[in-house]
Parts: sequence; C-alpha cells; structure tokens
Amino acid sequence: MRVIDRNLNAWQTGILIFILLFANKIIVLPSLLFEGAGLESIFMLVFVFMFEIGLIWLFYILKKRYPNKSFASVLQKHFGEGVKVLFFAAFCIFFLSKAVLLYNVTYIFFRNLIYKDTSNFLILFCFLPIINHLAISGLRALGRTAQMFFPVIAGILIFCLVVGIFGIDSRPLLFSNSFESVVLTGLRHIAPFGDMIFLFAFMDKIEVKKGQWKVIFSFAGAATILIVAVNLIFMLSYTYTSFMHPYAIFEIMSFVKEFGGLGRIDIISMVLIIVFAYFHLAIYLKTFMLSFHQIFPKIDNIYSILTFDFVFVVIVTFFIVNLETAVVYGEQILPWIAIFSFLILPVFVFVALLSGRRKKKTKFSLEAAE
Amino acid sequence: MDVDKTIKDFKKKLHNSVDVADRTLDKNGVKIGFIYLKSITDNAIFSENIFEPVASFQGEISFEMLKSFVRPNDVSEIEQSEVLKNILKGGVVIFISNSEKILAIDILKYNTRAPSEPPTSPVIMGPREGFTEDYKTNITLLRRRFHDENLVLESAFVGKQTKTQIIVAYLHGVADKKVIAELKKRLKNIEIDGIVDSYYLLSLITSRPNSFLKQVGQSEKPDIVAAKMLEGRVAIIVDNSPIVLTVPFVFLEDLQNSNDYYTNFTYSTLIRFVRVAAIILAVLGPGTYIALQLFHYNILPFKYLITIADATQQVPFTPFIELLFISLLFQVLYEVSLRLPSYLGLATSVVGALILGDTGVKAGLISPPAVIVVAIAKIALYTIPEQASQITLLQYIFMIIGASLGLLGLIGGMIYFVAYANTVENFGAPYLAPLSPFILSDNKDGVFKVPLDKMKKMPKSFKNIPTERIDEKRLLKNEEKSNESD
Repeated sequence: MRVIDRNLNAWQTGILIFILLFANKIIVLPSLLFEGAGLESIFMLVFVFMFEIGLIWLFYILKKRYPNKSFASVLQKHFGEGVKVLFFAAFCIFFLSKAVLLYNVTYIFFRNLIYKDTSNFLILFCFLPIINHLAISGLRALGRTAQMFFPVIAGILIFCLVVGIFGIDSRPLLFSNSFESVVLTGLRHIAPFGDMIFLFAFMDKIEVKKGQWKVIFSFAGAATILIVAVNLIFMLSYTYTSFMHPYAIFEIMSFVKEFGGLGRIDIISMVLIIVFAYFHLAIYLKTFMLSFHQIFPKIDNIYSILTFDFVFVVIVTFFIVNLETAVVYGEQILPWIAIFSFLILPVFVFVALLSGRRKKKTKFSLEAAE
Repeated sequence: MDVDKTIKDFKKKLHNSVDVADRTLDKNGVKIGFIYLKSITDNAIFSENIFEPVASFQGEISFEMLKSFVRPNDVSEIEQSEVLKNILKGGVVIFISNSEKILAIDILKYNTRAPSEPPTSPVIMGPREGFTEDYKTNITLLRRRFHDENLVLESAFVGKQTKTQIIVAYLHGVADKKVIAELKKRLKNIEIDGIVDSYYLLSLITSRPNSFLKQVGQSEKPDIVAAKMLEGRVAIIVDNSPIVLTVPFVFLEDLQNSNDYYTNFTYSTLIRFVRVAAIILAVLGPGTYIALQLFHYNILPFKYLITIADATQQVPFTPFIELLFISLLFQVLYEVSLRLPSYLGLATSVVGALILGDTGVKAGLISPPAVIVVAIAKIALYTIPEQASQITLLQYIFMIIGASLGLLGLIGGMIYFVAYANTVENFGAPYLAPLSPFILSDNKDGVFKVPLDKMKKMPKSFKNIPTERIDEKRLLKNEEKSNESD
C-alpha cells in the first residue's frame, strides 16, 4: 500500500504537538499526582513540562542543523546503521506502550461513564479502523484533520476551564508535602510524558518556514498552560475526595451548579476526551508506522499497521483490562521507558549536534591550512 | 462536380433520414445543390436569404458570385470531409457544378426556452436569470457580464455519437494555466459514446471518480458562474444542459448562496453559521438520537430521559428500526413527489406526512421524538440542497454507526470522513479548504462573510493567478476625496 506522507506545515505540527501534550494528563494523572504529592505536584508537573518543551527545543536545533534530513539519516551518519535500527525499534516499543496506556485509561473511562460495562471489543472496534485510516491517509491528511478539529478542541477546553472555575470550593495548603514525596510522585507518574519525541520520527516531513517556529512553541506553551490549569482547577475542586474522582476534565464539570440550566454540561468534556483519544492513538500509530519503516524499509506499510494492531489487541485484551492494572502498568513499567525519551535520545542528539559542529570546524581549519 | 450524385451520396450517408432536405437549381447549365437538416435549421432564412437570391439571379453563376449572394454572415468555404459535420451542426451546404469548392452557411435554429429563474437557486434580491439548454444563449449570458477581451471561450467536442459541444470558459490572466491545461487534457482523454447532460462529465473530469464527494461545482446561474470565474475558476458549458460546471471546487462553495452576496454581510454570516449547524444536525442528528437511546441513556438529563422513556415505552421496535423506517418513508415520499405532477405530489405528501405519521404515532408503532428527530434532520438537509445527496448518504451511515457503536463511533466516524475528505484534491484544491488547511484570508468568504471591500485578494484555496481584486490605493484616494468634500 502506497502511503503519501506529504509535509506538515508549522500550524499543523503545532496542533499535533498541542494535542499530544494532553495525552493522559487531563484524565487520571491529576488525581494520582494530588494523591501522592498534594498541591505541590503542580510544581513537578511544570518541571516535567520544561523537559517536554526542551525536547521540542532540541528538535528545533536539530532541524536547523539538518533542515532536509530525516532523523534516521542523522543517526546513520553519526552512529551507523545498527544504532539507527535500535533507535527506531525503541521508538516502536515506546509508542506502542504509550498507546496501550492511553487506550486502557480511556477504555476504563468509557466503560464507566459512557458505555455501561461494555465489552473491550466494542471500543477496539471503534478505535482501530479510525486510527488505521488516519495513519494510512498520510501525514498531511492527519495534520489537516487535526486542524479541522482544533477549534472544537480549543473551544471545549476553554469552556471546561471557565466552568471548572465555578466548581472551586476549597484552598488546599501548600508545602504540606516533603520535597522527596513530590519528586518521587513526579517520577512515578512520568509515563504520560515524553511524547514529544514523535517530532524526531516526523523530522523530514515537517516544513517550517522562516519565523514560523514561534507558532510551534506557542502551541506547546498554550497546551502546557491549559494542562496545568486543568490540574490546578481539579486539585482545588476535589481537595479531600480526589482519589474518588479519576477523570479530571470530566469531574471539574460534573457538579457546577451555576450552569445547571444548561443541563448535563459534562457531556461536552466527554466529547473532548473522545476526540483527544482518537488523535493521540492515531499519532502514536503514525509514529510507529514511520519507525517500523526505518527498521524494515522493504516491507509494505500495511504490515506495520497490522503489526501494531495485532500486538496492541493482544496486550489490551489479555493483559490490561482494569484500572488497577493500568495504574501498575503506568507507575511501575512505563516510567522506565521514559528514560528513552528524556535521557537516551537527548544524549544521542547532543552527540550528533556536537560531532556535526566539530566536523564543520575541522573542515574550516583544513580549508584555512590549504 | 456532379451535384446530383454528391447530394445523393450525402443523403445516403445520413441514412435518408426524414429531416434531410435538398434542393437543386439549374442556372444556364450550372447546377447548384443545397443540402441541410430542416429540423435544426432556420427554414425562413434558408428560403429568403439563401435560396431566393440564387434562384432569382439571371445569368451564369460562379462560386465567388454565390458567396456574395447569400446574406447570412456565417459563411465559410469547407472541405469535402467537413460536409457532414456542417450539416449535422445546423448548416446548409451548397455545391456548384462548375467548381470543386463547397460552401457552408450556419443557419442553426431550434426551439429553446428563454432564460428564466432557475428552480434550484431562487433569490430574494439579485439577478433572476438562469442558464438554458442552448450553449449559445449561455455564452451570451456570460459575455454580457464580461465586456473584456480576457474572457476566453474554447471549444471542444465530446462523445463519439453525440459530439456534444463543450465550451471551456475562463478569464485570461486570472485562471491558472495549469488548471486549464489539466482540464483540457481530461476532456481530451474522455472516450464515451455520448454526453447527454453536463452531469455526465462530472465523474469523467474528477481525480477521484469513485468518491461519493462532489468534486465539481455546478450552477444554473450566470452571476454565480461569473463570480467564480472572477476568482480564477474555469467554467464548462455543455450544450443541452442548463447546469454549468466549474473547477476547481471546494466544499465551502456550496455553503455560499447567491442570496449571501445580495444582503448585508452580518446577516450572511449568521445564515452561514445556521447552514453549518444544519449540516451537523442533518448528518449526526438521527445517529446521535439512536446512540443516546441505545447506549448512553445515563448521560441524558433526567427530565429528558423521563420524557423520552415515556414516549417510547409503547413502541415495539428498536430506535434504529424506528428511525430507519421513518427516514425511508420520507425518502419514498420525496421520490414520489419529485416524479408525480404537483397536484398529486401534494396529495401524497398529505397522506404520507400527516396521515401515516400521525396514525403511526397514535398506533404506537413510532414515537413522537423519532418523528421530530427525522423531520428536523430532513429539513436541515435542504439548507444546502447541492449537497443533499452526500448528506443523505452520511445520515444513513451515521445512523448505522450510532446504532452499533454509540457516541464513540459517531465521533470516530466524523474524524474518519473529515480525514477522507482531506485526502481529496481536485485540480490542486484541497476539498475542505479554507478550513483545513486553514487559510485565514479565504475565510472572509467562507464560514464568515465580510464586506466586499475587505476581500481584496484572490482566494488561496486553489490555483489562480494572484491579483489584487480591489485597488487599495484607488480606494484610499477615493476615501480621501470624499473626506475632503465633507
């Protein structure tokens, strides 16, 4: 199957970043963070976001250095074919794992709140054809579709935040948790972060014109502010009962009396979670697909999708079926995978950047000697 | 030239059809033969302006003299191979025995209706002219709007049997050359026995012929086509069709209505939002109703839940079957009303909508909320009649999705179709532009409508030659002048 992955522009890239930054961070995470480290967890959230935006910054530097090259060719040039394959294998594992975590959290949300005790297969049957279609349609179609839905996403988010403010009824104490517990909670729940490495897989397909990087950073900044705001409003709304309310964005709209005249406005946040879930999974699959292609360049794209679907279905069907397993999976297994995005990949990128500069300098000095 | 034999040969080639007419004259040993089709020629012109002057001439006649006798302007000298083509296009062909040259005079005439307001796009304020089935009239309607040498009209013939006249119309220096070249290439590549209406061309010139999406603009109004040509689109006039096609086409074109341009821009913007809401309602309304009833009754507000439960408890069918039945009933009534004479159509509408609907509710076979949902969705469908067929199809698809997968499936379906539409590009125009990709300047006449003086630039959603539509400097000068005079 021929997949035409034409380029994404700065706006579309920014919107994909915006969407992906939300992955898992406005449903279960606020409750878990608050339970572990109280209101101080916000600081940890902001701190980890700095790393996340740091990854975008790193991508920016790399893209400026190698404007038309793919990440695969950069890796191959500096570290050889073996490292390149290992890296893209890690990409595949990383995004498959993230897809499993995200699916599990949203499945539990859907099962408990939208579909009463429905089967896992119905949800899978909803997700897989759509995300497969989005991946096959090509990057440009994915970017444009995200662009089309962005006003809906932004509108609902702002509406949720405005409504959520009316639900705040307590002022939790600051500095009641130790520094150690804050850090440990942050590290334990680092699994939803690190998605920004998807940019490296898309590197040669992102076309940013001069002066448009600020568009990308603006989207990333806006997403960060909105996520922190959702977390903060949730923590201020459910100071004593946060452990009973695992679906933050939905919960902050549930008991707002001021908007009672409109009826069940929390349905609106459900729509947001559904739209987010589709796009998150589609971006994960697309990244998996592009990475898979780097490992097996001769194999048709359809096989990468089939591989993803098969492994994904097996994992979510046989291993992860409830919230407890999802939490264990997210707290104990996935944080280790985050090492790849926050440590290994940046180190290799730095080395590639430095060695590129050194080679350039050597070339200049040789020219001067001649 | 043996005139009698030549005429006999051509009559044979035309299978001696009843409308083939021929006349011969003998002028001092010089034979002059006329052959034409009386069904598509102006017999009065033939008799008074062609036959009569030749017949009344005394003396020996030559080919050059013959040319000067006949009075119509459209006279041409043709080759033997062009004789049939000229006869079939409404010409009279004249042979003369003392010359090998052949004369053809275009006296085409057939009954055509006068331009009238098209039933598909009536306006409250604005021009009420519509295209007709005669391509010459249609060209006139366009020419009347462009008194400029840059209006280019190119001719082509499509269809092995029908040899239908196609006119490609565009503005030189405004329409993109690549689009024109691509269109000509696609028209040239068409291998079909006949083109009966412009709709035949639709699937033959689109890049995704198997897609259910409409990819070519259609209009019956010359003012709309002229406005589209001013933006750099290319119009395709097909003989025997009152519908003129335009390319490139984007979805939002159908959201625009000619009324929008002849009323206040704020009102137009409001109406466009209403149309967007109507599309969403038409596509998703019935599906959402089914999904809420089948899967998510718990998310419905309590009062609504009680009302719906109360209304539907006696109904023996599932919400899906109920809505499907009412929708199909509507579709049947719609088809019947289209095909029957208006007086009978009215009667069937009364029987179908009022009696069947009312009795169905009273008998407990269908519920009032289901009737309301389908009625709203079907009415909303016709806020954009040009897209009615696509929206109807999507309506049924979303009903099935809503019944089988619920809310999650409905939103997934929306994403699926938007992604699908985003893969469609015809003549270089992204189908959903200027929404995705988002082009701010084009949205001035997209979902929004700004005053005309704010739309200074050409649309960027499709290829055209970017020119300033409004001379800003002149506009400023005029403003200054008017300020000074104040």
